[in-house]
Amino acid sequence: MGILGLSKLIADIAPFAIKEGDIKNFFGWKVAIDASMCLYQFLIAVRSDGAQLTTVDGETTSHLMGIFYRTIRLLENGIKPVYVFDGKPPDLKSGELAKRAERRDEAKKALEKATEAGDEAEMEKFNRRLVRVTKEHAAEAKELLKLMGVPFIESPCEAEAQCAAMVKSGKVYATATEDMDALTFGSSIMLRHLTFSEARKMPVKEYFYEKVLKGFELNEKEFIDLCILLGCDYCDSIKGIGPKRAVELINQYRNIETIIDNIDKSKYPIPEDWNYQVARELFVSPEITDPNEIELKWVEPDEEGIVKYLCGDRQFNEERIRNGVKKIMKSRSTSTQGRLDSFFKVLSTTPKRKPEDDKKNVNKKIKLNNSSAKKGRKPK
Amino acid sequence: MFEARLNAATTLKKVLDAIKDLLNEATFDCSDAGIQLQAMDNSHVSLVSLTLRSDGFDKFRCDRNLSMGMNLGSMSKILKCANNEDTVTMKAQDNADTVTFMFESQNHEKVSDYEMKLMNLDQEHLGIPETDYSCVVRMPAMEFARICRDLSQFGESVIICCTKEGVKFSASGDVGSANIKLAQTSSVDKEEEAVTIEMQEPVSLTFACRYLNAFTKATPLSNQVQLSMSADVPLVVEYRIPDLGHIRYYLAPKIEEDES
Repeated sequence: MGILGLSKLIADIAPFAIKEGDIKNFFGWKVAIDASMCLYQFLIAVRSDGAQLTTVDGETTSHLMGIFYRTIRLLENGIKPVYVFDGKPPDLKSGELAKRAERRDEAKKALEKATEAGDEAEMEKFNRRLVRVTKEHAAEAKELLKLMGVPFIESPCEAEAQCAAMVKSGKVYATATEDMDALTFGSSIMLRHLTFSEARKMPVKEYFYEKVLKGFELNEKEFIDLCILLGCDYCDSIKGIGPKRAVELINQYRNIETIIDNIDKSKYPIPEDWNYQVARELFVSPEITDPNEIELKWVEPDEEGIVKYLCGDRQFNEERIRNGVKKIMKSRSTSTQGRLDSFFKVLSTTPKRKPEDDKKNVNKKIKLNNSSAKKGRKPK
Repeated sequence: MFEARLNAATTLKKVLDAIKDLLNEATFDCSDAGIQLQAMDNSHVSLVSLTLRSDGFDKFRCDRNLSMGMNLGSMSKILKCANNEDTVTMKAQDNADTVTFMFESQNHEKVSDYEMKLMNLDQEHLGIPETDYSCVVRMPAMEFARICRDLSQFGESVIICCTKEGVKFSASGDVGSANIKLAQTSSVDKEEEAVTIEMQEPVSLTFACRYLNAFTKATPLSNQVQLSMSADVPLVVEYRIPDLGHIRYYLAPKIEEDES
């Protein structure tokens, strides 16, 4: 999922591009949420006694629980969420999807084994691996969001790409997802851990695209090539090239074509029919709906509708649901506090410099310089 | 080398009291023009802008521009050790990682030195556009503090409504509602007690009491406070520090929900 090892790489090379903050700090912003990622999280995490919550007929309802309460939590913190759902997967993803299906089959077999053996810990582990977000889950979530008065968008293709386009156009402030390829798609600001449960006390991580580029000393195209080298969902990567090597190569040769021309192919075999160009094209100009045609509206929730939808067969507690709806109403009635930084623009930032950090960076630079000096070229 | 001396520590104490509730830490930018500080509070709702001019100090020397990040809580602790009448001198070397506060008693018999570690802070400089405000209200600082305090008992936010006739502050909540109207003073005997209004267009804006109350911590610095307002832009609350500079607070208004 996403880009292999990118978050760790950013933390190492461009730590100043990441800011940790409390969910409260994001009040007043509109945020595009990657719905599939979010539903998946809920299906995994929202459980009681290790089993998913279900209706009387055994249909899963964990995702509805998650959508309902986590959305309320966002609204209560003054954040305006808009959920973006995946459309059809791009053709290139079929390889990745096939791999995932394979892994699921393996997990299924392992689960059967574990059930036979009666090993409960193993059973739970593989049960979770079997989780996938189906069309029905998504449809139910949309139905609920509609009742809650929260807008959602169906992306023609990948949700992260749509989110990124909305951030770039200024329609929303940031993309909230765990999937790092939101950055590859050029989302100016990306939030991680926004939809995590409050109990986990996980700070929200804010990634700034511009600062990431600056930290890596790459332009947008070069950054995409780096992500492909690291390993993305759309094509293979070159075996034997890890994150460190990938950064060095990009810094030295600036694009995949030149890298292919220059590296030792016996040591690093190029994958057969490597369609990195198509993958690159997918990142550069993905299939999206024009953000300017999207209208986002947060409207009054339909209390009776929600109660009817969630209680009854789906076995939610009516009192709790009504309380939840009241919270939505309250978040709507209180006028939102404006943000000063939406009026005044940041002119310059002087990042924090810690003496140890400086040293680390210098060391890294020297290393990079050395390795490229051998090949007779300095990184730009 | 940086050195700035004030003959009375009380001014510096008051300046710090005026900002330490909003900011935990801040960077003091020193140049030969004086000392500047600009910082948003943690929630990014308000901004403090402090200017202390070099000619307002009794002695001022700044050879090279210097940015000193300070923990305001620690700085406040140190300033509590000074008597109001003490002479206070701030000193720092170029590229230093500490700053020294020196307090001298009036009779020069007691000299105390406090050295504080400086911090490296993330600094975001905001560009504040020049604005012609629709309404500019001047009023006694004490009066403004009183109004904010009284109204915050009734609700979380205050509506400030300014017309030609006067300025109205109102709040409402579970208890009920409160309205305070101030008319323009007709005869100005004492300038510091006057209420004056310059209005191009009437304005009505909503602000969070919490921040207004934090701003009024600057009341001891100045007799008068100036409120500048225009529709849909942040409010400016300015306190002039006599002969030394000013402190300005910017506060983002509350926005009605249906606009989005």
